[in-house]
Amino acid sequence: MGWDGIKLRHAQSPAGFVLLGAFGLLFGAAPVQAAGDRALGEYLASECTSCHQLSGRSPGGIPPIVGWPEEQFVAVLNSYARKERGNQTMQTIAARLSRDDVTALATYFASLTPEP
Amino acid sequence: MKLTRRHVTVGPVALLAASSIGAPAVLGQAKARVVVVGGGPGGATVAKYLARDSNGAIAVTLVEENETYQTCFHSNLYIGGFKTYDEIVHRYDALASAYGIALARSRAVQVDRDRKEVVLADGRRLAYDRLVLSPGIDLKYDSVPGWSKEAEEIMPHGWKPGRQTQLIRERLDAVPDGGTIVMIAPPNPYRCPPGPYERASMFAHVLMGTGRSKARIVILDPKESFSKQGVFMPDWEKRYGAMIEWLGPKVHDGIKSVDPKTGTVVTGFETYENCAFVNVIPAQMAGAIARDAGLAPAGGYCAIDPATMKSVADRDIVVLGDACNAGDMPKSAFSANNQAKVAAMILRGELVAAPTFPARYLNTCWSLVDTDDAIKVGGRYEPKDGRIAAVETFISQPGESTEIRRQTQAENIAWYDAICADMFT
Repeated sequence: MGWDGIKLRHAQSPAGFVLLGAFGLLFGAAPVQAAGDRALGEYLASECTSCHQLSGRSPGGIPPIVGWPEEQFVAVLNSYARKERGNQTMQTIAARLSRDDVTALATYFASLTPEP
Repeated sequence: MKLTRRHVTVGPVALLAASSIGAPAVLGQAKARVVVVGGGPGGATVAKYLARDSNGAIAVTLVEENETYQTCFHSNLYIGGFKTYDEIVHRYDALASAYGIALARSRAVQVDRDRKEVVLADGRRLAYDRLVLSPGIDLKYDSVPGWSKEAEEIMPHGWKPGRQTQLIRERLDAVPDGGTIVMIAPPNPYRCPPGPYERASMFAHVLMGTGRSKARIVILDPKESFSKQGVFMPDWEKRYGAMIEWLGPKVHDGIKSVDPKTGTVVTGFETYENCAFVNVIPAQMAGAIARDAGLAPAGGYCAIDPATMKSVADRDIVVLGDACNAGDMPKSAFSANNQAKVAAMILRGELVAAPTFPARYLNTCWSLVDTDDAIKVGGRYEPKDGRIAAVETFISQPGESTEIRRQTQAENIAWYDAICADMFT
């Protein structure tokens, strides 16, 4: 299994800073780190929560994905997209996610805390 | 990152301007009102997501006449003895207490599209800015000659939740060894495409496990083929020998009539007399509330815009789940739950200027064949040429390892817990 840890492009990277700064000046909106990503992540995540509980609970069979480190989340989804991991449902889902989608999802789920 | 003073001061003004440009349809009104009809996977989900994600900015009312919801999904696992009845019954309480959804415990009997009101059986009229209809299916009682609403007690369908589900299990328990069960399968399109065949599997599982191996199950199908057929049929032979016999229309030559009094089923080819149990799963159509509102052709399903789940006949009405024509998406709980999230996103965009994204859809249907032996079918879908079109699909393969089948069943069980949590908690 190839968790080859694709590096995330955080907004605080130099390129991200410049882009976000320019966006803020252009539209006059306060630059909030990954604000757009959050909304995208939240919407995309609603597809995940049909199977992966938002509480982080699981009876087994489907792994909890709440609170994962972002890089691990990205690596696992990418390995499904490359069909290196073998679940048909996840392969089909991962195949259509863009890099931005995956990053948004990783950020969103990493921001959540599993319920006890 | 540093925030400049300019950013901080200009930001809120710009945001206000942006939300005005978004032009919420109900600008000037205190709260946008969304009425949701039907508390199943489509309705419960859209109500929850609208209420939860709008932080009180949308007043959501869920109209549902039943106090509890029995899932149709996994009702076959109850019939097969894998779940208790209580395990497939859920309550709406958390939708009200956790998300502030108003529960209207009544039946919606009419949509007044001109006045934008839903009329309830108790006489109330609920005004809406947007209406979501998720009423599920109605049965076509005249689709099998000799069968009727009155006959559904004797020849149960078990295709709507509640007492009918329990009747199926009671009839199955009463089948003697050597008895014949006839299942009349429905024509397309219908709720839960693999459902009849999973149910036949559960019949066989129960019969085999209770010393009734001489009983037989005859499926009379109006369709030439059925969902997951290439996996179900070899599995049936492997698991249950010759107990399950599937006959397509070329073999049975048409289902001519049933007689509930004598337990007889007549086909063009053969007459089945003294059947121990006849399970009639009739043809189906969109629930009456949607048909009567003029959103579906006679006896059919509601056409929707694939990008928004809105009725093509009324832009203020969304139709979800089994009642709509979702193109390549099957009529499943998974589909309805998934469509509800697209609808919630679109409606929040319109009503409270929340961000919107291109619609995308997903479905997976699991079916249990025997203990720790499940199969699945699914796919992803996108709007294309005015319909929801499959982009990529997958299906279990015949001859998969017992480990894969065991994992698929574990997934099935976990999915049930998750979708119910997604709908009701």
